[in-house]
Amino acid sequence: MAFLINCPNCGRRNPYEFTFGGECKHAPGQGADMKAWCEYLFFYENMPGFQDEWWYHAMGCGEWIKIRRNIATHEIVEV
Amino acid sequence: MATTHKLLQFKQPAKSYDVVIIGGGLHGLATAYYLARYHQVKRIAVLERRYIGYGGSGRNTEMVRSNKRAHETLPFYKESLAMWDGLSAELEWNLMVQKKGIIALAHSDPELAAMRMLSDSQRRAGIKIDMLSPDEIKKMVPSLDTSDRPALPIVGAQYHPEGGTVHHDAALWGYAKACGRLGVDICVGVEVTGIRIGEGRATGVDTNAGPIAAGKVHAAVGGYSSEIGRMIGMKFPVQTIPMQVMTTEVMKPFLDYYVASPRLHFYTQQTLKGDLILGGPLDAFQSWNSYTTWEESADRAFKIVEYFPDLAHVRVVRSWSGLCDCTGDSAPVMGGCGIDGLSLDIAWGYYGFKSTPASGKYSAEYIATDRMPEKIKPFALERFYNRQPVREIIL
Repeated sequence: MAFLINCPNCGRRNPYEFTFGGECKHAPGQGADMKAWCEYLFFYENMPGFQDEWWYHAMGCGEWIKIRRNIATHEIVEV
Repeated sequence: MATTHKLLQFKQPAKSYDVVIIGGGLHGLATAYYLARYHQVKRIAVLERRYIGYGGSGRNTEMVRSNKRAHETLPFYKESLAMWDGLSAELEWNLMVQKKGIIALAHSDPELAAMRMLSDSQRRAGIKIDMLSPDEIKKMVPSLDTSDRPALPIVGAQYHPEGGTVHHDAALWGYAKACGRLGVDICVGVEVTGIRIGEGRATGVDTNAGPIAAGKVHAAVGGYSSEIGRMIGMKFPVQTIPMQVMTTEVMKPFLDYYVASPRLHFYTQQTLKGDLILGGPLDAFQSWNSYTTWEESADRAFKIVEYFPDLAHVRVVRSWSGLCDCTGDSAPVMGGCGIDGLSLDIAWGYYGFKSTPASGKYSAEYIATDRMPEKIKPFALERFYNRQPVREIIL
């Protein structure tokens, strides 16, 4: 496995137990134009560094958790 | 026999060029080749920060086929597949094009029905596709277990006779050598750190070898495309996800076709050398790290042994992974990005290798004429802003 995720409910677990939910994006507020919504839907930062992201512990507690992971080195700093 | 003269001379970049291509992979080199050969562009540089073919060009599974469903993109893939045929002669370099045929297995009746639908779309676009029964499959691939034993038995297959393999390193060096003959400067170890923009127009690039002025800049950077986006303050609709591949030890020839299972996400072929290349799905999460994991390798091994039981004790000798920049609609991004003089050829996910000749041809046409060629119009970046992504059902 590439790294371990410290699930607050289940402890340090294999990432293949989780479903990856992608980077945390912030929905544009009400009244935002269509371009902002399209960017929110289709576009990603995709930065080789730390990013906040969602993971769903499908084979564990069944909770969505938010972690801060470096996607270039797989170092996780915050769960 | 080793040759005594150099196949290719790498250059130091000059101060200015007509066209600067970022990325010395297959797409970048192909674009440079078609620009120099068919559009008579004289001063072209291909800048590569590591070595040519470091990224996806050297990490793919060498499969060429035309397997998409969306009707607007099928002519593009069909042309690309056909272009491989004459390429060895054109580049004067044996690309080892071997159109051995691809068998895509179906494991259930609904899947077979979906496959028939797919085949109909592809036939309408003029692509040769046949459906096979388990008995026919068994005759073509005797080592495949078509019995009821696997948990998901084989109920049929789609046969794509024009699909096959091309040696990716041969293709890379074929294009690189042809570029060298046409006077394209291929500069390795030159990393682009920024794109210069003046008055809404790309005017050059900053590199670790100093600034280079350019009439036009073209980005063909494979999995690293979001870095280009950050240089120009844009986001791209891509997530970078690795794909792992492994190969086995060399065996005597037993597998004449490329065998794939779209449902179980595995595919395998026996190369001319005799080793099996085992490919699979994209990894389960986003990453910029070329790692390989036990879980993915075990998954490939399990599936291959499930359908080829004779391979149970074959050893795996190597595994590697490559970065794929994937869009939500399984189609690439080509053409302009709103800045004059800067064109993109990115987001190829894991269907970049087979598209090399056509993407090079049409990228070159776009750069030379500033007009979007008809065949790549569906790939424009604007489709995401117009809420008109390519209606593709194949990942």
